[in-house]
Amino acid sequence: MAWIVENRLKAYTPTRAEPYLTDTMRKTMEDTYLLRYPRKQAALLPLFHMVMHEYGYIPAGAIDEAAAFLGITQAQVQDAVSFYEEFRLQPSGQYAVQVCRSISCELAGHEAVLGKVRELLGTDPEETTEDGKITVFAVECLGACEQAPCALINGKLRGNLRPESFAQELQQLPPLPQHGDHSAGNGAAHAAKIPGATASKVEPEVHGH
Amino acid sequence: MAFPGPILLKRIPAEPGGRHLHRYDDYVATGGYESLKKALAMPPADIVKLVVDSGLRGRGGAGFPCGSKWTFLPKDIHPRYLAVNFDESEPGTFKDRYLIDYDPHILLEGIAIAAYANSITTSYIYIRGEYHREAQILEEALAEAYSHGIFGQKHAGTEFTHNCYVHRGAGAYICGEETGLLESLEGKRGWPRIKPPFPAIAGAFAKPTIINNVETLACVVPIVEHGAAWFKAMGTPSSSGPKLFGISGHVNAPGVYEEELGIKMSTLIEKYGGGVKGKFKAAIPGGISMGILATNQYDAELDFDIGKKYGVLGLGTAGVIVMNDQTSLPRILRNIVRFFSHESCGQCTPCREGTSWMHKILNRIVAGRGKPHDLDMLLELSQTMGAMPGTTICGLADGANWAVKTFLQKFPDDFKAVVKSPLVAGVSVPMAVTVSGAAAAPAGV
Ligand SMILES: Cc1cc2nc3c(=O)[nH]c(=O)nc-3n(C[C@H](O)[C@H](O)[C@H](O)COP(=O)(O)O)c2cc1C
Ligand code: SF4
Ligand code: FES
Repeated sequence: MAWIVENRLKAYTPTRAEPYLTDTMRKTMEDTYLLRYPRKQAALLPLFHMVMHEYGYIPAGAIDEAAAFLGITQAQVQDAVSFYEEFRLQPSGQYAVQVCRSISCELAGHEAVLGKVRELLGTDPEETTEDGKITVFAVECLGACEQAPCALINGKLRGNLRPESFAQELQQLPPLPQHGDHSAGNGAAHAAKIPGATASKVEPEVHGH
Repeated sequence: MAFPGPILLKRIPAEPGGRHLHRYDDYVATGGYESLKKALAMPPADIVKLVVDSGLRGRGGAGFPCGSKWTFLPKDIHPRYLAVNFDESEPGTFKDRYLIDYDPHILLEGIAIAAYANSITTSYIYIRGEYHREAQILEEALAEAYSHGIFGQKHAGTEFTHNCYVHRGAGAYICGEETGLLESLEGKRGWPRIKPPFPAIAGAFAKPTIINNVETLACVVPIVEHGAAWFKAMGTPSSSGPKLFGISGHVNAPGVYEEELGIKMSTLIEKYGGGVKGKFKAAIPGGISMGILATNQYDAELDFDIGKKYGVLGLGTAGVIVMNDQTSLPRILRNIVRFFSHESCGQCTPCREGTSWMHKILNRIVAGRGKPHDLDMLLELSQTMGAMPGTTICGLADGANWAVKTFLQKFPDDFKAVVKSPLVAGVSVPMAVTVSGAAAAPAGV
């Protein structure tokens, strides 16, 4: 787990005039998530899922705003947010590629997958390609071991990976609109939809082999 | 009784081409929500009794009797909650995902019945953050179920109000531990709680809370439909009913298959998993916390008694991981302890430091720099940290312990071969095996 030991009093918090918690987020919170729990704090994870979806990472300013919004201290928010691996405190590439490194994927050769990615993209896990397009992560079991080796590309599962073709596929991923760029339909950029906020249909894709 | 064929997976054909997501209409057209109808005509206490009588044991890993868990709720404290454990992060485990990918309403029906039986007014489905697609499937299934009156005010035509929500995690294995889950549900870091109080007394938001696995709740649906005796007729006396088994690793047809509890692992692998790719060497019965089955334990019966009989921790999640004779067990053990070291939540020193040292030691063993006493040190560590020796809050450390001690005890030669110190090349260094019991668990005892 992430261990963040940081003196937030001294930490530089980049700010901007526009709030990080957008009106849409606040409205979704008021209309949906806050109603689900007897305590406001419980809506912290849904709130930060929205922040991740919007910006691709958790800006420090969002932590301060969330504290005010949820009626808890900044320390409480920092304490919770820094614990979860999917809440990234630093910006990453437009595509987060999470390659599984756990047991069944090791048995199926995940190292060859990571090796090919390194060869073609020049990135090791936790690194971003020079053009800022892709950040590779080596993560624990994705719950899709029957499709080992496997990975998530922006939340979408890709199974039975072959090192060569997977690395090539990554090279060919199209550039995405910037995070937070509403004009360009940012919502479509991320496979993960905001739960509860849409009535869209899940893709009728079939898992498996 | 022989296993009558798929029960939980009855809507999911074995042929990949025939599988599709069952939405509300498909579900109802295939007999869905009939059990709920039947349940709502029964007094809630009778449903609890039915589940007790069925012998249903938790499918999330610990095998705790589901019905008795339900009876622990204090009589007059409200509100009370149901937290559905869909964190499914134990390596080798993917059964709950598979079920929800095609048949989400079986879970929702199980939740509705459990809520009615236990006077629960709010349920939360805690789903791991990486299951993006499944979260979307559940959101859509819930919206359908709400619009048909399964959830919401006046639950399915009664005076009873019950809401059900999806709560997404964000990448932390420890949130599958039931009290870590509750902390995460409350918007905090997922640090397991010291027990007691147990969740049934003071769980989510300090109120009485039941925590059940996805598959456990799905089992309630056929139990209500066919009765306790029917359920008990499958499996063994102490492990009743059908079970979802995952098979991954070195097999020809990895996947999720349903059979009755007590099926031999060899049968599961050969009849369903397409047989071993290569020659069988070892298998992990149910997620990496359980320890390893030796080469001569290929025929082990997969039920809740497997721990006692075969020197492993238990059945766990029944996510079987198969390894052939080309597998390097030191490397696999390193992978396992790396997982635990990475996922340790860090609040108990023995677990945080112990798993980290296990990882460092195995790193040097795999790199060819191991010393024979490293093996003794690993064994010693595995006996001194963990909830069972009483030094940690939750069971995560014990998962690491069981992996380490069973790998070393059942496959000592694999490890001795890689730690021969250069100074004593050619001399086999004896390893002190000090853990009682399973050192050489005979097959089939
Ligand atoms: C470290 C750890 C991780 C766990 N992860 C899960 C999990 O992902 N899913 C699950 O259902 N149970 C998990 N469990 C077991 C739960 O604590 C709990 O026993 C279970 O959810 C109860 O449901 P059941 O009685 O229906 O099985 C985990 C336990 C531990 C100690
Ligand atoms: S045993 Fe490990 S994972 Fe469990 S509470 Fe303690 S430190 Fe956390
Ligand atoms: S081990 Fe890679 S998905 Fe489970």
